Amino acid sequence: MTHLAPMLAQYIYQPFYKPLPAWDLWYLLLLPLCLAIAIVYKSIRSDEMKSVPRQALGLFVFIIVVMILTGGALAALVNILR
Amino acid sequence: MAASSSIAVPAPLVALAGWVLPGSGYWLIGQRARALTVGVTILVLFVLGLLIGGVKVIDPPASISSPLNAVMQKPWFVGQILAGPVTLVSASLGKGEGFHASYARMNEIGTLYTAIAGMLNLLAIIDASHRAAQREPRA
Repeated sequence: MTHLAPMLAQYIYQPFYKPLPAWDLWYLLLLPLCLAIAIVYKSIRSDEMKSVPRQALGLFVFIIVVMILTGGALAALVNILR
Repeated sequence: MAASSSIAVPAPLVALAGWVLPGSGYWLIGQRARALTVGVTILVLFVLGLLIGGVKVIDPPASISSPLNAVMQKPWFVGQILAGPVTLVSASLGKGEGFHASYARMNEIGTLYTAIAGMLNLLAIIDASHRAAQREPRA
């Protein structure tokens, strides 16, 4: 990506018109996606809306932890097979 | 418990409303807190997808004369269209001048956000319709 640095420095982000210049931080975009999934899923499943924030936060943390563990396990497997 | 409407709304109407505006199916059956939470979250997720990948991540098939070919050609559009008419508006806007196509990760992530927004809306539509059907007076 270093050879593209001068070009990327000139990139002007226009919301909706051009893609977000988050090429190096793309993995952080996982967070809002998981949060939204947790909120909607728990809103649908819960009878009481009062309990949704706590349950959604729990599910959000669970998804992130499992994805990190899965990513780590797959990376370890790839290194072993290499 | 969320406030509930005493008026029984037909389940198909609830489903249609839920597709037209995410969360509005719950609103029709009187579950306003759930409607706002689900609707706002789905719409925010959809708009975030457009902000990440640009409007061009909504990429409809060229023709729907053969539905199977259309689905094979643009499978992600099936998920995206479930988010409601906002997808059709975005697809129409994306055909205009000045919109740049995104590639690689930004395109994938933008597509993923918009398609997951649609699929979450499908869950909300099914749940709201089911709740509406349970409230309908039986013949």
